[in-house]
Amino acid sequence: MWKKCFTIMGYKSQLVCVHVRCCSGPALPVHRITALQAVHSWSQHFQEKGVSEPELSSHYITAHVLGAKTIESVKKETLSELLSPEDTQQIWRLCAKRLQRLPVQYIIKEWDFRDLTLRMKVPVFIPRPETEELVEIVLSDFKNQTGSLSILEVGCGSGAISLSLLKSLPQLTAVALDQSEDAVNLTKENALSLGLQDRLQLHHLDIFKDAEAVVDHCGGVSAVVSNPPYLFTEDMSSLQPEILCFEDPAALDGGEDGLTVIRQVLILASRILQNNGRLYLEVDPRHPPLIQRWVELHLEELRYVETKHDFNNRARFCILQKKTNKQELQDLD
Amino acid sequence: MSRLLLSVRALYTVSPGPTRSRGAVCVSPGLRVPPVGLPWTLLAAGKKDAVELPVLNEEELEEQFVRGSGPGGQATNKTSNCVVLKHVPTGIVVKCHQTRSVDVNRKRARDILREKLDVALKGELSEITVKKKESVQRKQDKRRKVNESLEKKRLFKEALAADTKPSDV
Repeated sequence: MWKKCFTIMGYKSQLVCVHVRCCSGPALPVHRITALQAVHSWSQHFQEKGVSEPELSSHYITAHVLGAKTIESVKKETLSELLSPEDTQQIWRLCAKRLQRLPVQYIIKEWDFRDLTLRMKVPVFIPRPETEELVEIVLSDFKNQTGSLSILEVGCGSGAISLSLLKSLPQLTAVALDQSEDAVNLTKENALSLGLQDRLQLHHLDIFKDAEAVVDHCGGVSAVVSNPPYLFTEDMSSLQPEILCFEDPAALDGGEDGLTVIRQVLILASRILQNNGRLYLEVDPRHPPLIQRWVELHLEELRYVETKHDFNNRARFCILQKKTNKQELQDLD
Repeated sequence: MSRLLLSVRALYTVSPGPTRSRGAVCVSPGLRVPPVGLPWTLLAAGKKDAVELPVLNEEELEEQFVRGSGPGGQATNKTSNCVVLKHVPTGIVVKCHQTRSVDVNRKRARDILREKLDVALKGELSEITVKKKESVQRKQDKRRKVNESLEKKRLFKEALAADTKPSDV
């Protein structure tokens, strides 16, 4: 049985068909089995069917059904006990979805980001671990600051960045935007479940079409933070099926040079940041020198401060700063 | 060695912390140099018995992540978040995949490493102390035996003298 999976790519509508072989997997066992046996059975089956991360997928799904986040945190005794028929059915149901290459995070409908557990929902972009480091960078800059702080997040997705910052900084207020209504709704849901909704303003806005509205809502923020779509359009088609088939391409596709959305964020940041306020961006490893050059040529209000690397030693984060009027005048000399 | 003892005494005070749960296992794979500039505080926090663990120098650490060779960032969606951390000067290696967050696993790996470093350094200290104690104990035992032996000889001599002495009866 074959299942077609359609994805609309980029700003031009291109239908990309990805045929993903779909079958129901091993039959539901007649006799009761233990969790360990279920894990082993599905790990093996995922491996045979070429599903990526076969063991981890099996571990996370089974742990989730047993009410845990990781298989390591499930008691050994529990893993060796016979599963209830309901749990067995649930494991089988969820693992079957993994055969369709649905990401684990969408199957269990949650994932962790730093010390938060966030609800996940197709097709809202799943937070990546590199972005945890972006939050650390912002936090370390804010560490010694007292008094109220405000940030704007562009492209909030599930709310990972804003909510993580709000949780760690009680004196922070945040405005978060996304051009996807699904993303705004999911961020709201996560904010409510974390009790952070009072310090978060959410807007369903497009930074291109609604640029003036963005400026109106966010004047004078201490910082702008963003993990904007930064992939090159030509790289989209080689993405793994988990991403290609299920995550919102608008959250990924940054245009021909991956900088389409980034340039707009830079322009908006230059207008809304307080003097000496900073912009923190997650980008493609090829971007930092391009961004630096572009800013020098086109945005005299911003100064390129630094490029930081991620835990895989790839250039991943750009830090820029809004100059003061005095600095701008000095630069003109 | 005496210099090490001095610096170790200066570093911390009390007994080692609690043992960690499953998910922290020692392995020794090949490792490479980590990125720099991690802005984390390095002191133990939140423990009632206020343990002072050894401070880690990031430049002495090598970190490895089991995430495959993909491009990373938005272009990759993986759930693997295992962190392997090696303390180069001592060769101690810690592996952590306790949580679903790479960031939290990195922090925990450092906490676990500090505890292992503490035990390793303290362990040497205890060994030295134990050896000293053993040496003192051996000397004490020896002295006791010698004294017992002398006492026995004295009693024997007395008994001998009492036997050979003519009675007045």
